[in-house]
Amino acid sequence: MTTHATAWYHRKRTRDIALAACFLLPALTIFFLYRILPLGWNFWLSFHSWSPLKPAKFVGLEHFEEMLLDDDVFWQALVNTLVFIGCSPLAIALALAIALLVNSDLKGAAIYRTIVFTSYPLMTVAVGIIWRWLYDERGGFINYVLRSSGIVDQPVKFLQSFDWALACVIVAEFWQVLGFYMIILLTGLQSIPQHLYEAARVDGVPPGARFLRITLPLLRPSIFLCIVIGILNSFTSFDLIYVMTNGGPGHATELLITYIYKAGFGQTRFDYAAALTVVQFLLLVVLTVIANRLSGGNAGSLER
Amino acid sequence: MRRAPTWPRHALMIAVSILMLIPFYWVVKTSLTGENIYAYPPRIIPVNPHLFNYVDVWYLIPFPRYLLNSVIVTAMAICGNLLFNTAAGYALTKNFPGRRWVVLLFLSCMLIPFQATIIPAYLITSWLGVLNTHLAVALPLLSTIICIFIFKASFEAVPKSLIDAARLDGLSEWRIILRIMLPLSKPAIATNIILTFIWSWNAFLWPLIVTRTADMQTLPLGLARFLSVLEDTTGALYAFVVLVLVPGLTIFLMAQKEFIRGLTSGATKG
Repeated sequence: MTTHATAWYHRKRTRDIALAACFLLPALTIFFLYRILPLGWNFWLSFHSWSPLKPAKFVGLEHFEEMLLDDDVFWQALVNTLVFIGCSPLAIALALAIALLVNSDLKGAAIYRTIVFTSYPLMTVAVGIIWRWLYDERGGFINYVLRSSGIVDQPVKFLQSFDWALACVIVAEFWQVLGFYMIILLTGLQSIPQHLYEAARVDGVPPGARFLRITLPLLRPSIFLCIVIGILNSFTSFDLIYVMTNGGPGHATELLITYIYKAGFGQTRFDYAAALTVVQFLLLVVLTVIANRLSGGNAGSLER
Repeated sequence: MRRAPTWPRHALMIAVSILMLIPFYWVVKTSLTGENIYAYPPRIIPVNPHLFNYVDVWYLIPFPRYLLNSVIVTAMAICGNLLFNTAAGYALTKNFPGRRWVVLLFLSCMLIPFQATIIPAYLITSWLGVLNTHLAVALPLLSTIICIFIFKASFEAVPKSLIDAARLDGLSEWRIILRIMLPLSKPAIATNIILTFIWSWNAFLWPLIVTRTADMQTLPLGLARFLSVLEDTTGALYAFVVLVLVPGLTIFLMAQKEFIRGLTSGATKG
């Protein structure tokens, strides 16, 4: 009897394992092919001299030496990427202000939320074209407003200007991602227990202090998440840059990701592009760790 | 208790809304304008509006071809996602040795942005011999980790007693999945379809790398190509932009709740 039961149990268990393995296989294959294997290969490639027609040769840190010592474009792209990431707290602060405004029992808050969020799911290439047109010196809305209000006499060629191009691209990126930040912060705001505010009100804590002592600390995980998304956006803004300026003028709006694309698929230097990717990836990891420290440690705080 | 008046907040939010909507308005206006779009000063209201630009889109570029490619790739991505994510999510509800490692593996894969792996991903795709096909464009999008976890949570929420009862009635594992688990996970399915649609419809960098010929290009590539070949001299470009944005916007506005829930649940689980 017992042997029967254990045999049955074993059979069921083997079946369960087989089932789980079969079910997991397709998804795992995809992630192996397009996440794990590329990451490893990318590191390998960055230490080798390789092109599709020539066998790989180990060159150690040669690519990194070239990058750090001789490549001005790399430094410009790195600085631009850092500026790009460094500006995201501005957008997050703006999104927080909007989230606080629409979180209250304001009538029509849902409509405002939808309007602010609508630009997020749009195709980024189309967003780039829309903003390119807004910045245009003849038909663009921004030059029209500036000129008709008498702020400037001559139209400003925003996207051809070394001083303005990067800021313009960043504004376009803000416009698209603002709604997403707002939604994340709203979710965070709604998870703060209301009784904390009531207790503070009873104790006569002024609204400013309530915001600083209750809202901000409890919102930390959401803010951390927004910062991580801001860091990741320096990758995903490829589409925007490609359409709006393609890294120009000169390399004024070159980000690491656009430079990786140009090195890899423009000059077919896959090995050098891989080395650039390693730098970008490390940058991402380091910045995320720093952000995590600043938001009070424990990335697991995301678990609420 | 005295309440602060709400009108300043309304005024602020209306101002923000207007700022957010101006880009939409400007591009729609331009696409409808009948006169030279470079005339200065630009009119706020389009003069003799017409739809010629929208007709032009069909003649100036292979719009139907781009649309077909986008639809094929998106359909492949959605089918792949539904199949692979439900399967993986269901497997994760089972108890098997190494389950913790698999979960950990998924979580760490989630931290690798796809854009950080494009060079080898391109080489792998070329090694698989599928460059410049629909499959190549869809392959990396066939499964999404966030959605696997959404399915896992949804399956775990199905009452255990219901499954046990079904098993006692002699239903097979497959029947249990098809007749009980999936019908009870409709919200998760909706979220997955919407997220996949938006991601694959908007994808640009990956299709740019793996497609070579115009007959494989998707809508975003078509847009970029239009911009570089014809320059932005005609209102048709902006008509094209509007045409491309409409499907995404429609789906988003129809299923806003599922979309936002998917994004935030995925984000907070990350």
